[in-house]
This record gives sequence, C-alpha cells and structure tokens, in this order.
Amino acid sequence: MISEEQQDQASLYALGLLDADEDAAFESELRANAELRDLVRELREAGGDLALTAPSLLPPASLKQRIMGEIALETKRVVPMPTRRASFGWVPWAIAAALAVFCGLLALDRVRLERQLADIRAADPLMQTTFYTLAPSAPAPADAKATVAWQPGRQSGVIRISNLPAAQPGKDYQLWAVDAEHKDPISAGIIRVDKNGVAQVRFKPVEKAEHVKAFAISLEREGGVPKKEGPILLVGTT
Amino acid sequence: MAETSTAQQMLDQEMIARIGRRDQSAFSALYDRLSGPLYSLAMKMLGDPAEAQDALQDVFLQIWSRAATYDPEQSSVFSWTVLLTRSRVIDRLRARGRRSRVVVASTEDTPTGAPDASTVESAADTVEKNDEAARVRYVLNNLPSEQREAIELAFFEHLSHHEIAARLGQPLGTVKARIRRGLLKLRQRLNNL
Repeated sequence: MISEEQQDQASLYALGLLDADEDAAFESELRANAELRDLVRELREAGGDLALTAPSLLPPASLKQRIMGEIALETKRVVPMPTRRASFGWVPWAIAAALAVFCGLLALDRVRLERQLADIRAADPLMQTTFYTLAPSAPAPADAKATVAWQPGRQSGVIRISNLPAAQPGKDYQLWAVDAEHKDPISAGIIRVDKNGVAQVRFKPVEKAEHVKAFAISLEREGGVPKKEGPILLVGTT
Repeated sequence: MAETSTAQQMLDQEMIARIGRRDQSAFSALYDRLSGPLYSLAMKMLGDPAEAQDALQDVFLQIWSRAATYDPEQSSVFSWTVLLTRSRVIDRLRARGRRSRVVVASTEDTPTGAPDASTVESAADTVEKNDEAARVRYVLNNLPSEQREAIELAFFEHLSHHEIAARLGQPLGTVKARIRRGLLKLRQRLNNL
C-alpha cells in the first residue's frame, strides 16, 4: 500500500522536482519498496509523454552531421595510435621475434573476437527479429494494416494492428503463422481490437514455427479454432 | 503509456543495447526517431534554436556514452531520453542565470525547417507520432485546469513545488496534491486510451 505522501513524493521525484536531500531520502525508500518503484516508473512514463505536447519541430540536418562527426572522432580517439618510432636498426632479430609473438597474439585475438561476435549475435534480439507487413484482403477495410515483429529464437512476437473494426458478435480474429514445415497454418492466438480498431499483443504460436513464411489474420468463431476455417483478412510476408 | 508501443519499446531497447556496443548505425536510427520530439521539448523550454541544438547535441553524446548504463527497469528509452534532455536544458537555464523561461506559447504543431533525407521521418512514422502527441495533448487538456497548470509549470518551466506555490499563491500541500492528482490521472488515462 502506497500512502498519499509517498505518492506526492513519487510525483515530484518523477518530474525531477525534489532537492538533493529529498531525492536521496526518497531513493533509499524506493530501494526497499517495489510497489513504489513501479509507481515511479509509470509516473515517469506519463511525465515523458508530456514532452510530446511541445509544438512539433525538427532540428536542422546539419546537427545530425555534427553529432555523427563527434562520435566518429571519439571512436577514433579511443583506439590507441602507435607513436613510437622504430629507431633501433640493430634489432632485426628482435623485430622478427616480436612479429612472431604478435602473429601468435593475433591468432589468439581472432579466436577471442570470433567468440565475442558469436555471443553478440546470440544476444542481439534485433539481429534475430524479422518483420512482416500484413496487408488487407477483402472483406477487411482497405486501410487496415498490421505489423509483426517475430523472433524465431524465442518463438514469440508482437503484432500491432490498426484500422480493423471489432469483430462482430460471436466472432474473433485469429492470428496464424504460415510455416514452411507445417501443412496447415499454426494458430498464434485470438486478437481483440479496441474501439479504435487497434490491437497490440504479444503472441506465441501453439506449435514450434521455425520457418515462418507469412503471418495471417482470419475471422473465426468466437474463442478461435484449431484449424483455420474463416476468411483471411490480413496477410503478409517479410 | 502513450508514446512508445510495446513493439517500439522493444526496438528502442535493442537499439540502445547496440549503441552500448558502439554501433553507429543504431545510433543514427535512434537519432532519426527521437531527435524531433527531444528538440521540440528543448525548444519549448529554451526558446532559442542555437541553444536547443547545443542541448540536443549534449543529450545525444550522453546517449552515446551512457547507453550501456541504461536500465529498462527504471524507464522506457523515450522517457530516459526525455529525462536527459530536461536535465541538460535545466543546466543551460541555470547557466543563463535567470528563472524566466521563454515558453513557446503556441500549442499548434508547426513543423519548421527543411529536413533532408537523413532526418525526415517516414509518412507513417510521422502520422503515428502526431497521433500519439494528439492523444497526450487531449488527455492533458482534459485534466482539471489547476492540475494541468501545476504539471506544466513543473515539467516545462522546471519550477520547484515551492516556486509553483509562490507563483500560484497556493499552499505547498495544495500544489503537491495538484501535481500528484494530475500526474496520476494522466498516467491512468493514457493507459486506458
């Protein structure tokens, strides 16, 4: 239970209005109170959204160039540049030995880098995300659309639908994954749009779908069906 | 939350993770997505294009250097960058040594400048963003006026609750309650939209 006073402090904290002492005291309270942390997060999100009420402007294109230039420079700066000159001509053998060691280190480094690259690939969800754009087919409205972000590794995705009117009583929209290795589309669940014709849901197909060629939405009996029966309203590939 | 859909939040978090690994293309993409709203916020608070651009540059350099420390448990990427922007803008306002802010009076969308291909958004993105902005504006405008006023003074003018109380001639407790009630309502209504 969060008291009114805590809500006061949470609101002021979320807007950055507490002074340093109050801030520190509230943060120690936050560490011990998960419910309060959740409230602060939500208030921060609401506060963040206030930024959208500012009159909409775009910065000049030159600013992006300036910033990209800065970070490119910084990236170069962090790479150490060799500054020593080889002024000792009497050490060809030493150089040869150093080269041999260097080559060995390079080989080791390459193995290490290859491992890191594999780890990065495995850990980077964006590299594993495929996007599908679903277009309407009759009887869906011409401006209905949907986008699917699908992560095969996790066997889950997110779909966002817009401009699709709510299904009539006794009916539901159902999402299907069309997989190359399955004869029939795999059900990925029922989707209900809101009064604005919008839905955004996470989904997980009922069976493993490793080679999804397309996603589709059909109109089915209320509660959904194990195998597609109704008309396809939206369908799309990558 | 209105600004960022779940799918967009996932993408934002992935971009931040890549920026943390020094991926300049992810940084460029995040810039394209967020520079408009963050610049608009900086302009509303500072009222000066040159200063707003300098503040935005500081913010994006901070994003580049601090991406690895971003904590998704604390806020969405968008809210995090809004916090960074307000913080940089407030530093600049303090440096100016004056409390009077130039607040752009208009609440109409007035896109200016001629964005080139590197900054222009896709038509779909623009429509979606404007749609979200319209929803937030609608919710904000439908709060009781005294709550909206207190929140706007706190958020855009960065007046402390003490300063707001003095400006409005209201007791401190009243101002705190207005900010709390307004922000809670804003959160609830945005979640319900």
